[in-house]
Amino acid sequence: MNDIELALRVFIVDDEPPARNRLRDLLNDCSEQLALDVVGEAGNGQEALDKLTEIPADVVLLDIRMPQMDGIELAQHLNKLPKPPVVIFTTAYDAYAIKAFDLHAIDYLLKPIRLGRLFEALNRARVAVPVQTEVLRDLLPEPRKNLSIHERGKIHLIPIEQVLYLRAELKYITVRTAEREYLLEESLTELEKEFAARFVRIHRNSLIAKDAIAGFEKGGDEGESGWMVKLKGLDEPLAISRRQQHIVKEFS
Amino acid sequence: MNKARSIKQNARPDGLPNFRNLGTLLRILLISNGLALLQAILLASAWTDVAQRMMQIATLLTPVLLTSLLLLWVAQPWLNRLSYRRGVLVVTALVVVLTLSIYYFGGEIYRPLDGSDSYFNMVRYGLLSVIECGILLLYFRLRSKVLSRALNDARLQVLRARIRPHFLFNTINAVLGIVRAQPKQAETALEDMADLFRMAMSDAQDLVPLGREIQLSKQYVALEQLRMGERLRVDWQIQDVPDDVLIPPLLLQPLLENAVYHGIEPLSQGGSIHIVLRRSGDELHLKVENPCPVRTDAPHRGNRVALRNIRERLDLLFDVEARYQVESGKDFYRVEIIFPYVSSVKERPS
Repeated sequence: MNDIELALRVFIVDDEPPARNRLRDLLNDCSEQLALDVVGEAGNGQEALDKLTEIPADVVLLDIRMPQMDGIELAQHLNKLPKPPVVIFTTAYDAYAIKAFDLHAIDYLLKPIRLGRLFEALNRARVAVPVQTEVLRDLLPEPRKNLSIHERGKIHLIPIEQVLYLRAELKYITVRTAEREYLLEESLTELEKEFAARFVRIHRNSLIAKDAIAGFEKGGDEGESGWMVKLKGLDEPLAISRRQQHIVKEFS
Repeated sequence: MNKARSIKQNARPDGLPNFRNLGTLLRILLISNGLALLQAILLASAWTDVAQRMMQIATLLTPVLLTSLLLLWVAQPWLNRLSYRRGVLVVTALVVVLTLSIYYFGGEIYRPLDGSDSYFNMVRYGLLSVIECGILLLYFRLRSKVLSRALNDARLQVLRARIRPHFLFNTINAVLGIVRAQPKQAETALEDMADLFRMAMSDAQDLVPLGREIQLSKQYVALEQLRMGERLRVDWQIQDVPDDVLIPPLLLQPLLENAVYHGIEPLSQGGSIHIVLRRSGDELHLKVENPCPVRTDAPHRGNRVALRNIRERLDLLFDVEARYQVESGKDFYRVEIIFPYVSSVKERPS
């Protein structure tokens, strides 16, 4: 077999430039004994998703504590790539995450990172498979800060605070922001559980953002007896089912 | 022991209270008059009688109290040099002598003409003033013992924060990250780190020159900037405050650390921390303001621990003369501390 063909494609994600420097230096040292190729690096989640869509990688070295979106959430979004990379987490100190990683036998590196440990982790990564999204979700005590939408070969991150409502339609869920709609392949019940603090169910098929409620009005399909809810920035009101009518009192 | 005392001359738990502190003066006045009221109630035969008895007591108590406080104010620097035992003796003797001489020279105000036994009265007033001194000094001793724990806690707290694993390991990792490309910069970073640790591990001093605290804070910021680069900006506004003004140690740096850890670091665009230090009359105003991520839940707990500690230390050092304000907005956080302007070693509070 040819070594070049086997070269491990590695991608670095860390918000701190010196930390990325350090990893590059160490990867450079590793490359003397292990065929590898650093295919890119990113300082935040969206940048990482964009670059990895263009140039796929086999292994992503991923910092846990980053502003806006932490590494565990990003790993979930990375799983939506056509060929999800194996993730090796890096962290200076996250007692909670480390305990969880040990429990699920997920690979991580402690900063300051040692050459030997990195070398071992890369060797293991050759044969490893990506951690399942469900497991990652369990690792994250807080709800995600973004939804990731797969659209025409790209992955878009939609900050959760921009979402006005979520509505289940056949196979997909419609994610509505003030600007447009997206299609998401997840379960409404799971989303309701994860984002209970932000969204409230108004109908069997829809959740609305509590912050976005502008007012309530009578009418709709249910006639005089039914209620509709108006959301900020949207013209068309949404129907509230009979069972959920108590929310009119709670939020008006 | 002697050496430790000379370093920790102020706020030592076994010292006399600072008679030049407004809080001390207020406490003495309140407690003395409270005791007098108690006495009046004990002596009175009816509620209407209480006011009259109180007046009677006050005619002697008030002049004694005010003269004692005045003399103690004047004698404060000298008293500070005495051991606690001697200090207590001197203060008590001063008060007794004052009481007796005011009684003696006060004439008919204190000695009604009914010919009551003036020798008995002398002994009685002398005894009362000794007891009152004892109660007050005991109170201040207990109070400073309770509060001095805060000082030790502060050191531990600061030390723990300094070796906050997040800061320590990330900084070491960052230094390792630049050591090949920029060895000079890596050297400076390690030196800064050593200074920070040295300060945190040194014996707590009561007050340090402002210049030193600022330098330490700048070294800390430099370390964080190594990791965060342009994301962390600090805007210093120091108006008419010379570098040798004395301030409590590790007052500014922990505030900055909070601002970085809870404010700037979670922001992807970063932000700038505003530090304002200005003098207004006899007071020094220190304000630290930072942006922070929009939050919906309660502020982080780590915040409160550090802030509570600073408040306790200020209480210990300045009592009511220090004020403290925290404003936690939706996307910003502001701490303002106002405390006495101490310009030289002689004017240190005790």
